[in-house]
Amino acid sequence: MLEITNLSKAFGGLQATTDLSFSVNEGEIVSVIGPNGAGKTTLFNQITGVYRPDSGDIRFEGRSIVGRKPSQIVHAGIARTFQNLRLFTNLSVLENVMIPQHHKLRSNWLSAVLRTPGYMRQEKAAYEYALDKLSFFGPRLMSFRLHQPVYVLSYANRRRTEMARAMATEARLLLLDEPSAGMNPSETAEITQIIRRMRDEGGYTILLVEHKMNLVGEISDRVVVLDYGRKIAEGSYRDVVDDPAVIEAYLGKRAAEEGRTADLGVDLEELP
Amino acid sequence: MPDPKRNRNRLLTLAGLGVVVLLLYLIDNSGSSKLVQAFALFSIWGIAAVSLNLVNGVTGILSLGQHGFMLIGGYVTALLILPVQSRIRIIESGRSSMTEETLSISIANFFSAIGLESLAAPEYLWLQFIVALFIGGLAASFFGLLVGIPSLRLRGDYLAIVTLGFGEIIRLLAATSMFSPYTNGALGFAGVPAEFGKSVWWTTAILGITVFVMARLKYSSYGRALQGIREDEIAAAAMGVNLAYSKILAFVLTAFFAGVAGGLWVSWIGTARVDQFLFTLMFFLLVAVSVGGTGSITGVLMGTAIVVFIRQYGDPLEQTYALTDWLRAGGLIVLAGGFGAFIYRAARRLRPRLNAMVWVPLGLGTLAFAAALVAPGQGWLEGSFRGFGLRAILLSVLLVVIMVFRPEGVFGRSEFSWAAVFRERRDRPSDEERGQDAWLSNPDLADRLARQEKREGDE
Repeated sequence: MLEITNLSKAFGGLQATTDLSFSVNEGEIVSVIGPNGAGKTTLFNQITGVYRPDSGDIRFEGRSIVGRKPSQIVHAGIARTFQNLRLFTNLSVLENVMIPQHHKLRSNWLSAVLRTPGYMRQEKAAYEYALDKLSFFGPRLMSFRLHQPVYVLSYANRRRTEMARAMATEARLLLLDEPSAGMNPSETAEITQIIRRMRDEGGYTILLVEHKMNLVGEISDRVVVLDYGRKIAEGSYRDVVDDPAVIEAYLGKRAAEEGRTADLGVDLEELP
Repeated sequence: MPDPKRNRNRLLTLAGLGVVVLLLYLIDNSGSSKLVQAFALFSIWGIAAVSLNLVNGVTGILSLGQHGFMLIGGYVTALLILPVQSRIRIIESGRSSMTEETLSISIANFFSAIGLESLAAPEYLWLQFIVALFIGGLAASFFGLLVGIPSLRLRGDYLAIVTLGFGEIIRLLAATSMFSPYTNGALGFAGVPAEFGKSVWWTTAILGITVFVMARLKYSSYGRALQGIREDEIAAAAMGVNLAYSKILAFVLTAFFAGVAGGLWVSWIGTARVDQFLFTLMFFLLVAVSVGGTGSITGVLMGTAIVVFIRQYGDPLEQTYALTDWLRAGGLIVLAGGFGAFIYRAARRLRPRLNAMVWVPLGLGTLAFAAALVAPGQGWLEGSFRGFGLRAILLSVLLVVIMVFRPEGVFGRSEFSWAAVFRERRDRPSDEERGQDAWLSNPDLADRLARQEKREGDE
C-alpha cells in the first residue's frame, strides 16, 4: 500500500532521514520506533507532504505522492494525527470531525450558501459519517459532547477526537503520531484496543509512531526501528527487541554486549 | 442537523423581520433626515464590516485593506451611474484629464449600445445602480484575488502589512495621472445620485443580503473549513482543506461585498473622492469588528452600530463647554467606572470587594465632582474648552477598554440564536446523561462501581 524507497531529507547539516526504505501492506499495523530525534516525526511529515524529501520516492497505492500538497495527500487517502494535538480548539467536537470531510464536497460555495438539495444531502451524509466515526469511541463523544467546544474536553477525549477526525477524512492509511502520549496505563490499554479495532473493524491500515513499548509489542505486525535517520532494524517485535543494534541504540553499547533486551514494555508496566 | 425547534425558530425569525420592516418604515417616515442618514450609514458600514469579518474573524487572517476594496467599488459605481449633467460639468471645467471615451462609460450607454434604450432612461436608474454595484463588486473582488495570493505565503503581521500597503497603494494610484482618465484624479466625481445610499430600504436590503450570504457561508462546510484554518492552519491542511482555494475564496467574497459597500458609500456622500477612503475608514471597520466580536456576525453588527452612533451623534462632545462642566462630566464618568468595577467584582465574587480598581475611580470621581461644585465660588477653573476630536478618542478608548477586559469582543465568537435566547444548550448533559458520564469518562471509577455493586449483590 505504502512503499518508501531510498528516502533522504536533510535540514542544513542535519541528516534527518538517510536512505530509508520500507513498505506497509494493506491491513497491517506497522510501528516506527526509535530514540528521541531518530527522525520518526520527520518521516511522517514527508509522507503527509509537510516536507518535501531531498531524494527518494514515496508511493501510495502505486502512485508517487512526492511533491503533492498536504490536502492532496489526504484526498489520495492518507491521514494523520499529531504528536501534540492539533485540534480546532474553539470548534465543537462535531465540527472538528466534519471539517475533514470538506475535501470530499462536490458542491461549490454558492450551492452551499443557497443550501441546494444536493448540498444538503452531502451535509447530512457528512453529519452521519461523523457520528459513525465518533461512535467508534463508545458513547463518550456522542450526545451532548458533540456540541461541546474541544477546549472543555479532557486530554484523553481530545486524543480520541483527533483519531476520529483523522478517520473521518475517509483515508485508508492512518499515520498515528504517538497516540498514547500523556495517557495513563488504563487509557493506553484502551487506545491499544481501539487501534486494533480500527484495523479489524474499520479496515484501516495503520502506521504508528510510539514510545510505549508495551503498546508497540502488543499490536504491531511489524516494527521499523530508526536511529539518526537510518533504519537499523525491521521485523517482528520480538526479533527487533533482541537485535543488538536496537539494544545499543536504546540502552547503550554495554547493554548490547551484556545481551540485555530492548523490550522495555515489561519495565514500563512495573513502574508505579 | 436535526433541529426540533425549527418551526418555532422560523416563526420567530419571520416576526423579527416584520419588526425590522416596521422599524425601517418608522425611520423612513420620521421626517428626521439625520436619523435616516445614520441608519443608512449603519447599513453601509455594516456591509463592509460583516464582509471584513469573513477574512478577519472567520478565517483568522488580519486584513487591513478593506478601504482599498471599497474605493474600487465606489469609483466603479460612481463612474457607471454618474448623471449626464455631472459628466458635462467635468468636461466644461477644463481641468479634467478625462476623455470623451472614458466619460462615456456608463450603464445607460451600455444599455443603449445593446439595444435596450428603454432601460437607459433615467426612470430605470435603480436598475442601472444595481448593475453598477454588481460590477463594482466584481472589480473589487478581482483585486481581492490579487491580495489573496500573497496570503498563501505570508502569515499574521506580515500579511496585515501587505494588505494595509495594498489599500494605501490603491488610494494613491487612483489619484495619479495613470488612472485619472477614469477617476478624474484628485477631483473625483461630484453629483453621484444619492437616492440609494441615503435610503434605509436600499441599504438595509443589501445589508440583509450580505448577512444572509455570510451567515449561510459561515454555517456551511466552507465556513467550517475557513474556521479550521483560523484555529490551526497546519491541522486544516492535514485534514484535506485546500488552503489556497479557501483563503482566496474568503478574500474574493470579502472584496466583493466591500466593493458593494463602497458603491453605496459614494452614493451616501454624493461624491467619489480619494479622501473618502482614508485609513480612518478601515480603522472604524476594525473597531466595529473587534468591539463586537471577531468572528461573530451579530457582534460585528452591534459594533458597527456603536461606531456609527458615536460618529453621527457624537458631535455634542466636540462643542465648547466651560471647564467646570467638563470636570463635572469627567468626574461622573470616572464615578460610573468605579461603580461598574464594584458590580463586576461582586458578580464574579472577586475578593477583596474593594480593591484599587474600585476605590481609586470612586475617590477621584468624587474629588473631581466636588471640585467642579466648589470651583465657581472660588474663582478657580475659569474658561472653556472645545472637545475637538473627542469622538475619535472615544472610539480609541473603547477599543483599548475592550482589548483589556474582553479581548474576544462583546459577543466573542457566539452568534445570536433563538436557542440562546431560550437558554437551550445542546452542550450540556441531560440529568440521566450526567449520571452516566462519570462512568464513561473514568473507566477506573466504572470498575470500582461495578465491584461495589457486585459486593452489594453478594450481601
